[in-house]
Amino acid sequence: MPWYLYLAFKQLFPTGRRFPFFTAISVVSVMLGVALLIVVLGVMGGFGYQIREMITDTEGEIQIKARGLISDYRNVVKRVEAVPGVAGATPYAAGMLMVQYQNKPAFPQMRGLDMTSIARVVPLGRFVRVGSLDDLDDDAVILSGGLADALGARLGAIVDIYTPLMLAKKDGAIILPRTARVVGILEIGHQQLDSSTLYCTLRLAQDLYGLDRDVHGINVRLQRGAREDEVAKRLNAVLPPEVQAFSWRDSFADFLWVLQLEKNMMMFVLLFVVLVAAFLTMSLLLVLVLKKTREIGLLGALGASRRQIALCFCLQGVGVGVVGTGLGLALGFTVLHFRNEFVRAITHLTGGQELLARFYQFSELPSHTETRDLVLIVVAALVLSTLAGIVPAVLAARLKPAEALRSE
Amino acid sequence: MNNAILHARGLIKTFLSGDRRLAVLRGVDLEITAGESISIRGESGSGKSTLLHLLAGLDAPDAGELKWEGSPDTSATRRALFLGVVFQSFYLIPELDALQNVLMARRIIGSIGAAERGRARELLARVGLAERSHHLPAQLSGGERQRVAVARALMNQPRMILADEPTGNLDESTGNAVIELLLGLCRETGTTLVLVTHNAAHAAKCTRQLLLHDGRLA
Repeated sequence: MPWYLYLAFKQLFPTGRRFPFFTAISVVSVMLGVALLIVVLGVMGGFGYQIREMITDTEGEIQIKARGLISDYRNVVKRVEAVPGVAGATPYAAGMLMVQYQNKPAFPQMRGLDMTSIARVVPLGRFVRVGSLDDLDDDAVILSGGLADALGARLGAIVDIYTPLMLAKKDGAIILPRTARVVGILEIGHQQLDSSTLYCTLRLAQDLYGLDRDVHGINVRLQRGAREDEVAKRLNAVLPPEVQAFSWRDSFADFLWVLQLEKNMMMFVLLFVVLVAAFLTMSLLLVLVLKKTREIGLLGALGASRRQIALCFCLQGVGVGVVGTGLGLALGFTVLHFRNEFVRAITHLTGGQELLARFYQFSELPSHTETRDLVLIVVAALVLSTLAGIVPAVLAARLKPAEALRSE
Repeated sequence: MNNAILHARGLIKTFLSGDRRLAVLRGVDLEITAGESISIRGESGSGKSTLLHLLAGLDAPDAGELKWEGSPDTSATRRALFLGVVFQSFYLIPELDALQNVLMARRIIGSIGAAERGRARELLARVGLAERSHHLPAQLSGGERQRVAVARALMNQPRMILADEPTGNLDESTGNAVIELLLGLCRETGTTLVLVTHNAAHAAKCTRQLLLHDGRLA
């Protein structure tokens, strides 16, 4: 081991009972900065990941839409399912309804599902809290949890459904609602979807909206590992010109851009914490250089070159960075692992757990750390710590041995 | 000249003091032959340490020439092999134990193996610190620290040792013991010794005594 590496290590972690105060302060400051970045970016990444999951769980990775309606959807589904990378496709109809139960009205979004193909694309059955997706037929509906609560409807309740099509009936005709039985209550875990959505069969939706055999769109599920952008391109090559495939990224591009911008800004701001830690390390190393001026002179007298002396102090900055980053990663991931316990403890003390879920759309604090973020954090912490070691290293290297030995 | 291990001619060194330039060395001529022990005495501020730093290549003279074994190369790499240094304030590295402090002289010029560790232990035994090789400098007395510094100076088997007031921070009896040790080890190993000291008795033990006065050696 080169002497400068050996001495750098010994000065950072001296043997014996000496408490490495300088090392501890520097390492803890880098550790806290890195841990903060890991936790904040992990949670922000979790929000993005959860939203992606929510979108793909309810709509698949690719949506196929037409300028108007998609006619002859069976043929389109057949073509879509023949494209490599596609695991399944299911048509849907969607729109706004008025639902009434015991004189309580609500205006949910309707989602008409094709019961023969839905399971291959959207795992809705997983989210049914009460009842069963299998009971859904043309005279039944499933309500989202928030909608059921708003209406006060429970399993077995009969609800009245009004559609915009009914408004077109004139000449004094009495508008009779369509009645349907509630056969399930569903909760996806996303506040917006859970607050006001009504699920029914595709046939009922087509009937309510007068679509005949047409649909509004087709949701596509991809095979594991298939890239949505590539498959969307392949689909567009085989689909009729009036029908287009969009990946979930395309459909939510603006939202994803804002989310990424927020995350990048957060990283930029929080990097200042690591920068401050690097400045602290630099100032402590500068103090160390001043304290060890005579020892630096001695090393010169023993034959050490200026470059080697510089390396000795620079490596201490690197050492602080490596240990601080390692501990910061450990602390950050530990906090992320117990994040929901922390949130529960805080909301237990302050109240408002439901408010938190309603505001942030998720019942649990999500977490997802992307490899890119992890690499960026580690590289930034190591680079800043190394830079923190460079200024003291240059100062140490510029000391002339004779002057250093003479210093008081 | 053939036997000269160190040759210095016309060494001049000045320092800026305020707006005045102070001439500390005004033309020092010195030739040292292998195996000699030389003492350099002088009043405080006469430039003894400055001269030693010039001889060790730690500082550059304003004028004059310096050669080690006939070569003007006084680079750090050559210094590590040619010279051993002992200072008044010991300058041991506080984070390293006695053995590692001795080995540091060797680490700087190359790798450490069993042979080097053996030599460092042997040197510590020679200076009477075999049992204290794993003690940190803070756990050693002043005399013990200086003996570690002597062992470190001898680690690379240098041709010459420069000792700058090595007893300055020690009491009389400890100082005497250190000087005896230094002279004895240099005599045994045939190492040349240049001893800068205030102490006339210590200076008298060297084979040649020089006096630095008015910036010149006499």
